[in-house]
Formats: sequence, structure tokens, C-alpha cells
Amino acid sequence: MEWGRRGDLDSRRPQKKWRNLFRICLRKMRLLHFWKQKSEPLIHFLQQDKGVNMRENAVSTVASVLLLLLNVSLLNGQSAPGKPKISKCRSPEKETFTCWWEPGTDGGLPTNYTLTYHKEGETLIHECPDYKTSGPNSCYFNKKHTSIWKLYIITVNATNQMGSSSSDPLYVDVTYIVEPDPPANLTLELKQPEDKIPYLWMKWFPPTLVDVRSGWLTLQYEIRLKPEKAPEWEIHFAGQQTQFKIFSLHQGQKYLVQVRCKPDHGFWSEWSQESSIQIPSDFTMKDATVWIVVAVLSTIVCLIMVWAVALKGYSMVTCIFPPVPGPKIKGFDTHLLEKGKSEELLSALGCQDFPPTSDCEDLLIEFLEVDDSEDQQLMPPHSKEHPGQGAKPPHLDPDNDSGRGSCDSPSLLSEKCEEPRANPPTFQTPEVLEKPENPETNMTPTWDPQSVGAQSPRPSLHAGGSKSSTWPSAHPSQPGARSSYHSIADVCELAVGPAGPAPATLLDKAGEDVLKSSKTIKTRPEEEVATQREMKSFPSKTGRDAAWLLPQEKTLFISAKPVDYVEIHKVTKDGALSLLPKQKENSHRVEQLRAPDTSKEYAKVSKVTDNNILLLVQDPRAETEALLEDSAKEALPSLEQNPAEKDLTFFTGTPSNCRVQLGGLDYLDPACCMHSFP
Amino acid sequence: MDSKGARLKGGSLLLLLLLLVSNLLLCKSVASLPICPSGAVNCQVSLRELFDRAVILSHYIHNLSSEMFNEFDKRYAQGRGFITKAINSCHTSSLSTPEDKEQAQQIHHEDLLNLVLRVLRSWNDPLYHLVTEVRSMQEAPDAILSRAIEIEEQNKRLLEGMEKIVGQVHPGIRENEVYSVWSGLPALQMADEDSRLFAFYNLLHCLRRDSHKIDNYLKLLKCRIIYDSKC
Repeated sequence: MEWGRRGDLDSRRPQKKWRNLFRICLRKMRLLHFWKQKSEPLIHFLQQDKGVNMRENAVSTVASVLLLLLNVSLLNGQSAPGKPKISKCRSPEKETFTCWWEPGTDGGLPTNYTLTYHKEGETLIHECPDYKTSGPNSCYFNKKHTSIWKLYIITVNATNQMGSSSSDPLYVDVTYIVEPDPPANLTLELKQPEDKIPYLWMKWFPPTLVDVRSGWLTLQYEIRLKPEKAPEWEIHFAGQQTQFKIFSLHQGQKYLVQVRCKPDHGFWSEWSQESSIQIPSDFTMKDATVWIVVAVLSTIVCLIMVWAVALKGYSMVTCIFPPVPGPKIKGFDTHLLEKGKSEELLSALGCQDFPPTSDCEDLLIEFLEVDDSEDQQLMPPHSKEHPGQGAKPPHLDPDNDSGRGSCDSPSLLSEKCEEPRANPPTFQTPEVLEKPENPETNMTPTWDPQSVGAQSPRPSLHAGGSKSSTWPSAHPSQPGARSSYHSIADVCELAVGPAGPAPATLLDKAGEDVLKSSKTIKTRPEEEVATQREMKSFPSKTGRDAAWLLPQEKTLFISAKPVDYVEIHKVTKDGALSLLPKQKENSHRVEQLRAPDTSKEYAKVSKVTDNNILLLVQDPRAETEALLEDSAKEALPSLEQNPAEKDLTFFTGTPSNCRVQLGGLDYLDPACCMHSFP
Repeated sequence: MDSKGARLKGGSLLLLLLLLVSNLLLCKSVASLPICPSGAVNCQVSLRELFDRAVILSHYIHNLSSEMFNEFDKRYAQGRGFITKAINSCHTSSLSTPEDKEQAQQIHHEDLLNLVLRVLRSWNDPLYHLVTEVRSMQEAPDAILSRAIEIEEQNKRLLEGMEKIVGQVHPGIRENEVYSVWSGLPALQMADEDSRLFAFYNLLHCLRRDSHKIDNYLKLLKCRIIYDSKC
């Protein structure tokens, strides 16, 4: 009945609405009651028929109730307001702030929104002082009501006829919600200084509200610009300055520029309004001239370069890519090698003096040692092997040099040579070799063990090249003896370089099995001394020979002058050795070597130097003298001038015992002399 | 010998200068009190540099504190409503600090400097313990730990710088070392995870706020003292 009267209801006034609603409800209730009363007898009557009738009743009741309710709601569509939500709070200058909220559903009724807050540490609840300034659904807190570094607990309440609801409280500290306005008064200017590139100069001011002068806020700026039609902005950070210059501009374009700012601990502002500026096109003329000038200059430069390359191409190439130099030894003339003049070659190498210079020292790797015990061991066999002068010693092994009685020969050395007794370190270690030593002083220590060691096993001084080599010069230490020997040889060969073959050839020229004159780097007059040993592998062992010959460490060996090989003719009664120079085909070399005559006689031991090196002098009266000491070669030039004083310390007292064989090739048994040695 | 003589000379000169400065200070009124005695160029320059350096440090420290707080909030404090409990819970709230711009501008620069010193000193101990306790946190995130260590270090430097500035601006007078005592260590070491996390949250929240205060005050002082409020 009343359903259709919905429109009659005056919905403008809530009171009337309620009254109407109430009336409607009452009517309906009365109606229902009436019908219920009416239907009671019927129900009773129907109850006799249970089941279906009962159910039908219940259903109808429920349906009517539901309909009633639906009617009520459809009638006015009103409800309590939905829950509002505080969307954002912002402060433009850290002195005031504003909060905005979003209303929920209003329930169809006018809803009143109120904002309440209280500060941290206070209990008093305040209401928003200003709802208007910041627009609808906002609350503006002015300076008086704003405290920094303090939490605000803010709530928004929505109220309407039907009810009210409150938002969740928001905890706000003004310190962290600062978002300033965009910078103001952005001005653009195109500056064209004379003779310089034109640029765009832009200037702006901080937003009006922000207090930068006192330092309350510190702002940083950012600008962006683009040609009008370009899709993307070009952003530049400007720091705390309020101006900026742009240099890379396209001609004839219209540029748009914007700027924004950010406080030291806050949010970026919005971009300011676009400012635009038109870049005129007359820059192209200037650019064109510049480009023309640049092009002309580059053409000229290219022409010059082409011309230079054409003229001096090769020299430039060599300048840029210098030829890789080949190995070169100072003072070494490769051409001499080709000619086969080893003396000149070796002299060029500067191996003039005894002891050897440092060049070879560096190359020597190992050192040959001689051990007394080994020498002892070696002695007996060797003593047999040196029958006498001129007899060829049985070939001990292919590597054997003439210097056999000692640990010279690699085979012997490897077998028998042990660590030298008291070899000076220089002798033993390569490092020592590199020490800049006085060769003479070196000689002395090396001499001792060598001489003693060498002589003990070895029969005598080796007059020949190989014999001399038996002379305690370089005695390789045992295990590496052979290898060291070889290494010495190899090293020296390397050092000597092409000189290697030369001595070999020389030796070959000598033409005999015994080319004792092992070549050292130093050019010394070599006297080939016949040795009893085979020198099969001699050519390849020239280095070794040299090693033998050098009493000193290998340094001496390599840098030592070519040994003079002489034959020990005899040992005179007073202990002097009489030596025969080797007078063989190396006479020409002999000439080169010792300045004096070819037949040199070293009949006397002039002295024993500090290194325990015997210095032999030429004794005109003696027939021959063995060159006992290679290390003495350094002193040999002086040796020759030395007075022929005999140093008999070495020999005295032993001649009779020690003399194995005198004359010709003599090997003085070093064992005899060992004890005489200090 | 020469260096000794030079040193003596320098020392006597310094003494004279100090006497002069003190005389000038006594003669002039407080309102127009110059920071540096006229003519002492070294003082002007060095004070500017000291302030620049101090501002850089304070800005940096606040950035670190902010990041540290945000990191912690994101990882550990979501949905726990810690903010509702972190009300009025900073140990430095007993120090009366200005609460807005007007108050900060009215306060005298010496007092403001001393206030900054007090706040800085109040944070020495908590920062130290923060580092040790963060280390012992479960899955101690490196982002938080590294920042805590850095803040502790920079805080010491800032304190030194501030003491130098105070020595130059206000030489001679040395106030007692007043600062707020922090007693939140037991809270940081509690067994209950929730309480412990809240204690951290609170500490980081207070650190963020106090570092911002110091930064703001120093920038105010710098513009006022060095640039005569014309930044």
C-alpha cells in the first residue's frame, strides 16, 4: 500500500523523514499483526494439516520481514559515513604545514569532517585551526600552531546523521614533510660574447616562502630543458646556485626550460612553469666560417704529413718501428769472426787483462771445485797416467782435457770430485763470481785449494794447455762438475760467441790432438803445449780449458786471457820449474800473444801473490817454464818485467819428492807440495 | 736553536694577541660582539672553514641516520606500531632546545653552540652501544651496522670540530660538560624480541631527530656568524 508512496515522502527534512518512516513501520507492523490475528484461526485450522502448511507459514513470515527491511533501506539510502583517510601532510617552508584527507563514503547524508590532534608529550586535544586556507578537506597549521621536532598525532572524524567514523591516527613530524614551492621568476637570456660561443644564461629565485637567508632551509636546484619538439628533457643539477649556463644549443630552435628545488632533507618541489626562448639562426654563419677554417687547416696538415711520409717514409718507419737489435757484445766485431781472427776478436772483446773483467763473471754459472780427498783418489791413477814427457796420457774420457790429475776433467770430476776442501766462496758460488774482486786476491784463495788439491792428484803442472788446465784454476765441484764444466764452457762459448770456433780452429790448426791452448775470452798469446791427453772434444771444450787455465773462479776463466801453455821441461834442483813454450803451429798466435818473443821461457817463479798464485817470470837462462798460473796472467805482463826472483816456497823442499818427471811435459805432483802450502 | 727562538717569539706574540682580544671583548657590548677580533685574518678564515666542515659533517650524519632509520623501519618495524609508543621517549628531551625558527633565532649563538655541544656529547655513549648491540642482532643487516659505525665515528669528529669552534668564538669560558645520560642499554639487551626491537626503533628515531636538530642549528649559526644572515 504504502510502497508506491515513496515519492510522497518529503525527504528533504530528516525529522519528517523519520516520522514518516516510523509511521510506515507502524502501519506495517499493525498490518502484519492484523493479518496474523486474522490468520490465527486459519493457522489453527491449518495446523491440523501439519508439514506443508507450517513451512509455508514460516517462509511467508520471513519473506515479509525481509521485504520490510528492504523497504526501509530503499526508502532513504542513508548510512553512517565511511572512514576518512588522511592522505598527505606537507610543509612548504618548515614553518607551517597542511594536512589533506580523503573522505570515505558519506552514507548519503551530509557529513561533517573535523580534524583533531594532540602533540607529543601533551594531553590536550586541539582542533584544526584553519579548514579553509588550503582548500577543501584540508587543515592548515600556521606558525603559531607548528612545532618542529615534535610528533603530531592527527585524526580526522567524519560525522553524519547516521553515525560517525574516525580515521586512523597519523603520526607526523613536520621536520620530514618539507616540500617547497617551485623556484620563482625563472628568466632566460641568450648571451653572445664577442669571439666566444654564445650560451643560454638562466636565472631564478628561491620560492618566496622559503627562508634561505637565515639558513633555516638550504635549497638545491635542478633545471631541465629541451627543444620544443624534442621528446625528452635534458636535466642538469645546479647545486645551491641560482643561475646556470647552457652551451650546446641548436640553432633556430625554441627551447623550453624548467627548474625545481629541494630542501636539504626533504622532497623535490614541482617543476616551475615553462619558460621558453627562441635561439636565432644567425649562428650558422659563424659556425660555417669556423668549419671552413678547420677544414682548410686539416687539409694542409694532411698534405704535410703525406709529403713527409713520401720523402722520409722509410726513416719514419724505422723511427716508429726500430729494428730489433741483435745481440751485441761491446767491442766485439762480428766481422772479425768471419775472417777467423780470433785474437783480434778476443782482444776486441776486451779480455786483455788478468783477472777477467766482470763480463764473463756474470755469465759463469757454476764453479769447478777440487777436493783434496778426491785429489788423493785421483792421484794414484793419474800418476800412472802421466808416464812422462810427451807421452799421451790415456784418454780418460772424451771430455777429458789435458788437465787430468785434478778434477779438471769432467768425468773425473763427476766421479770423484767432492766439495772442495776450503775453496773460497768465490770459487764455489757463481754469485761470488760476480763480486768485483781483485783477481789477484781471488787467485790466492783459489790457488790454495786448487794447487793443493789439484796437485795432489795430478802429477804435475800441466805444461800444455790441458796441462795448465790441470793447474788449479777452476775445479768444478763434484756433482755438477761435469755439468758445470760444460756450463762454463758453454757459458764462455756464449760469451765468446763466435770466438768459440776460432780457438777451436786455431787449435785445429795446431793440428794435434792436444790443443791445450784453450781459448778464453781474453786474448793472450797462446802457446800450444803438447799434452799427453787427447783433446778430442777439445774444441768444444775450449771454454773448459779456459776454465782450467784460470786459476780463479770462472770469472777469471772466462775473462782470463788465453792461457799460455808451456811445457814443463824440468824442475831444477833449486825448485824452479823450467818450462818449454809450446812451439807449434800457433806460433802466429804466439806472436800475437806475448809481446815479447815467441819462445818464452818461464823459468822462475817470481813470487807467490796474495792469492797464492805463482807468478812465473821468464828466465832467459831457463829453457822453458811452464805457465803455472793462469790467474797470474793478469800479472803476467808485469810478470815478465818482474825480476826473476824465485819463490821457492812452493817448490822447495819437495823437488826431489815431487818431481815425477822432469823435462818435457812435467807434472808436478801436487800432493807432495800440498803440505808445503799454507 | 733557531726554531726554539722562533717558537718563543711565536708564543709571546700569541699571548699578546690573546690579551688584545680579551681587551676588545671586554670593551665592546654583547650585541655587537665580533666573533673574531678585528684584524685577525687567520681567525676569520679558519672559522669559516671550521663551520663549513662542521655543516658538512652534520649534514652527512643526518643523512646516514635517516637512511638507517628507514632501513630498520622497513625490515623490522612493519605493522608493529612502534611509532605509537615512541612518544616523548628520547633521552635528550630534557635539554631545552628551540622548537621552531623564531625560538632558534632568538637564542644567542653562544648558547646555541653550547646546546649543540651538549646534544653531541649526549650521543657519545648511545652510539657506542648502538654499534655493539646492532652487531649482536640476529641477521644484523650490513646497511644498518655500517651506518652505525660511520655515524659514531663522524660524531666524534663533529664534536672535536665544535669544540674548536667554541674555542674560537667563545674562548676562555669552558662550561661544565653537561649532557643527558642515556640509560637505554638494558632495553637494547632485552630477551624479548619485540621489546628489544622497539628499543632499537626508539633509539634510531631519536638519533634521526637529534641529528636533524644539530644540522639545522649549525646551518643557522653558520649563516648568522659567517655570512651575517645573508646566505
